[in-house]
Amino acid sequence: MNASAVLEPELSASTVQTGRLGRLVVARLKPNEDIVDSAEALCASHGIELAVIRGGLGSLIDANLGYLGRHGMKTLAVPGPGIEILSISGEIVIGDSRLQAVVADADGNIFAGRLERGRNLSFITVELTLQEWLPD
Amino acid sequence: MNPHFEQRDGVRVFVHGGPAQQPRRLDRSVAQGEELRIVLPLACNVADGVLAALRGRRYGSAVGRILCGGAAHLSYHRMVVTDKAQRPYDYGAPVVLDGYITFISGAITVGRDAQNRPLLHCHAGFLDRDGQQHGGHLVLDKLVVGSENLVIRLCLFDHVAYQSQPDAETHFSLLHPIDQEAS
Repeated sequence: MNASAVLEPELSASTVQTGRLGRLVVARLKPNEDIVDSAEALCASHGIELAVIRGGLGSLIDANLGYLGRHGMKTLAVPGPGIEILSISGEIVIGDSRLQAVVADADGNIFAGRLERGRNLSFITVELTLQEWLPD
Repeated sequence: MNPHFEQRDGVRVFVHGGPAQQPRRLDRSVAQGEELRIVLPLACNVADGVLAALRGRRYGSAVGRILCGGAAHLSYHRMVVTDKAQRPYDYGAPVVLDGYITFISGAITVGRDAQNRPLLHCHAGFLDRDGQQHGGHLVLDKLVVGSENLVIRLCLFDHVAYQSQPDAETHFSLLHPIDQEAS
């Protein structure tokens, strides 16, 4: 076993923020646009530093979902086309977003995991709605 | 152009039959939303229940989630290969389930049709009575609450709407964000 590859938890103090939800960004992604890159581009174009996903619905060509294994991030590949997005959740921070999705393949089987950047492209359309988080 | 796959940067892309027009992301911004928690009782038709909850409210569109609940009857669609040159993938025949259905996950967009009437778009995942997973495009007109109540959260917004419009690239009618006064 490669011990250096084992992920060690980083210990630090908890952070608690108070704040409120601000502007909504209501979007459609056309075919071949990546979910994570698009979410970050939407935030950048509206000057939003941190946002949460409020709505995510549509289809992907193929899905590439990540999860943390004992030796780092692994990929769960779900071949399409026509992978249906059943829900998306998570936070968007430019360059450091963490978005999770639940998807279904063309046989109706369900898969879930972290959306890998650049590897989850819209097939026909994705309706994506974000809302900015405004800390006090 | 014939629709086809290509490889770009290590992932598959799909070139649809129609022209790919810029911009590739369409978006609008609104200042704030209004939150709704909708609890639908046993035997309620979900489309009727959601539309009744929205009736009389000022909103252009809404987005949200199925949080939890069960169904007694539903109908959903999966993507299939077609023999149509310009639309080679489309939704297939409905898959119909009855009795003891448990929701796992789901997303809802309340858009507008061309006549500005509410239009419900939903994808969801659920388990049938045998524990078999299912997921796809759920028809809310055919969804009947069962076993336990169904909880839906919606975020309503006005001045902007998801409106159904023909899409020349994909040859589907799709929801596009547009500027719109509340109805």
